[in-house]
Amino acid sequence: METGLDFTVVWDNLLYFMIGAYPEGPLGGIVLTIYLAVVSCFFSFWGGLILGLMNVSRNKVIRYTSGAFVNFVRGMPLLMVIFWCYFLVPGFFGQPVGETKTVIVALSLFTSAYMSQIVKAGIESIPKGQTEAARSSGLKLWQVMVYVILPQGLRNMIPSFVNQFVSLIKDTSLAFIVGVSELTHVATQINNRSFIYPTEIFIFIAVIYFILCYIFTEFSRWLEKRLAWRKSI
Amino acid sequence: MLKYEFDWSVVTSGQYYDWLVSGVYLTIQLSAVSIVLAFVLGLLIAVMRMSSVKPVKWLALGYLEFFRNTPLLVQIFFWYFGSYKILPESVNEWLNSTNFEFAAAVIALTIYTSAFIAEDIRSGVMSIPKEQMEASRSAGFSYLRSMQYIILPQAVRITIPPLIGQFLNLTKNSSLAMTIGVAELTYQARQVEAYTFKGFEAFTAATLVYVALSFIITALVTLYSRKVLHRAG
Amino acid sequence: MKNVVGLLICMLAMLLVAGTVFAADTYDTVKNRGSMICGVKDSTPPFGYVDPKTRQIVGYDIDFCAAIAKKLGVKLEVKPVTSASRMPQLIEGNIDMIAATMTKNAERAKQIDFSHTYFLTGQKFLVKKGTVKSLQDLDGKKIGTAKGSTSEQNAKKALPKSTILSFDDYPQAFLALQQGKVAAVTTDETILAGLHAKAPNKAQFEIPNIQISDEPYGLGMRKGDKKFVDFVNQTLLEMEKSGEAKKIYDKWFGPKSDLPMPRVFRIVADK
Repeated sequence: METGLDFTVVWDNLLYFMIGAYPEGPLGGIVLTIYLAVVSCFFSFWGGLILGLMNVSRNKVIRYTSGAFVNFVRGMPLLMVIFWCYFLVPGFFGQPVGETKTVIVALSLFTSAYMSQIVKAGIESIPKGQTEAARSSGLKLWQVMVYVILPQGLRNMIPSFVNQFVSLIKDTSLAFIVGVSELTHVATQINNRSFIYPTEIFIFIAVIYFILCYIFTEFSRWLEKRLAWRKSI
Repeated sequence: MLKYEFDWSVVTSGQYYDWLVSGVYLTIQLSAVSIVLAFVLGLLIAVMRMSSVKPVKWLALGYLEFFRNTPLLVQIFFWYFGSYKILPESVNEWLNSTNFEFAAAVIALTIYTSAFIAEDIRSGVMSIPKEQMEASRSAGFSYLRSMQYIILPQAVRITIPPLIGQFLNLTKNSSLAMTIGVAELTYQARQVEAYTFKGFEAFTAATLVYVALSFIITALVTLYSRKVLHRAG
Repeated sequence: MKNVVGLLICMLAMLLVAGTVFAADTYDTVKNRGSMICGVKDSTPPFGYVDPKTRQIVGYDIDFCAAIAKKLGVKLEVKPVTSASRMPQLIEGNIDMIAATMTKNAERAKQIDFSHTYFLTGQKFLVKKGTVKSLQDLDGKKIGTAKGSTSEQNAKKALPKSTILSFDDYPQAFLALQQGKVAAVTTDETILAGLHAKAPNKAQFEIPNIQISDEPYGLGMRKGDKKFVDFVNQTLLEMEKSGEAKKIYDKWFGPKSDLPMPRVFRIVADK
């Protein structure tokens, strides 16, 4: 094999890297990677919020069930969660579900478990005195949560949420295993066809992932500083 | 409606049971080796990251940012398939004569996790009062020695909870080694599914093992931190 | 303790959900939906691979799917599958039919129904030129193949001392061969020839005449899906009669193709 790197293979297939077989075929590549991450992030935010609230519930059954679920999911590799969803999601919906949707369900479930821990920590970071004060002014417990605790807690959580989003971008690469044509899958397809450029192809997609993730990592740091600054005044 | 017939015997005895058990062993081996290496490398990178020598600091920073912000799967592919072109022929020949699949997985897991561990340790070090370093330096210890004897032992103790998290992540992430033919637990569970079509049973067995491993690692690190680190500190 | 209890609850919930895997009559389902979903390979030229110009999956298998979809009067959708994922995908209802270089064998036939044989080949080895004269040369070496394939099972039997290294798909195994990580890639001759033909450095490799098994390919359908299976079989026989099957063969394996090979079979009804 010749030495020296030759990135022609990347430029020749740039469109495929970007959008896969679209518009004649299904969407793929980088755009699908971002789509998977964004949609899963949306669902796992709500999933994490609900699980997090259940985690701080006063009802023991709710607290233990949600706690066990969270620990269970966090004990499993994401790959296992994806295989499980493959197996169970069609049964759950009563009809076949495409793998893109299956992967979104798996990513959302998995990330919800982690998000719930952020939500829980965010809620617990608000001094107890606030709840008591709000309660004594006549608000119901759920009203205290919705109007007093969550708005403050959530603001503090934003940097952690952005970090989870970064993890999600990286985690979408696992969708490759079940044949969803996101960036990694597209890269292996091209690699499988061209054979002699694995180094170039994997360096290229590593850089793409890096750029995507780094932007959000920096964004999260910037938010953190801003929040710290706002708190200090 | 077609009924799924359960057959737990495939995972409790016979050839498929043996496959799963060998997968468990390989997962433990892979995780154990990588945990030790990632911890050592993480410490090293953390020290470099905090060094006052600019190039050393920048090198560590670049390492951290790059490897944290690229998917592990891509890194595994890169080390296994992509490293071929940038290594000398003789090194490749030697690597190929060894069990390179396992080695590539260890390299990827170690590097990926070390970047996270380094950041955790750094925040641990930051939480230790500056005066300690100054006192140690004025007592005649060099920077590295002060780190080694005074700062790092304390920092590691503070860092124990996030470290446990990283070790657990590493163990779960080791499942990605299946993509380059390392016959660890997830690989074997999938093989059992492909050969017997008893995916539910195979995945249940694998999931239980992963959850159990998570408990064991948490217990071990907690025990270690109580017994050894507290005494030393 | 609390975790163990929760774990049991979760398992129970999963059991309830997993208890039912649905399988209506595919023929009617497909007709109603207006599209047929075929599980195909996306990295196995010439059976199924991505055409770099159109960025679509094309190949011998896809042409058969298209012919059957056309006969049904529905649209064809293709989904990439791997050797390991294709049968679970079918059984779980994510795809309607497998057309993914799948060998018919008795063990698989317990789980799914096969159509008549629509392609015939045999399992061989792709190796670096001049390194392998007989099967003995390979025993004890690392052999690459794909997870969940018959090739994997046959290789384990034929080469008991070898380490069989299974990848997600054959091209990755070939890549490992290119880089010297395995001594041979083993699977069906046509797949090997397809990989070989597409390789930019094909002169360095060869397929020695060592065959370890016969590999008849069938289209896979859900067990007991009689109406659909009969329809597919009927269509295959008609395609043979009308010459369409041979036309598809010639497109991919004929004298003018990248991979000229004589057609040593005809599609006939299974006994």
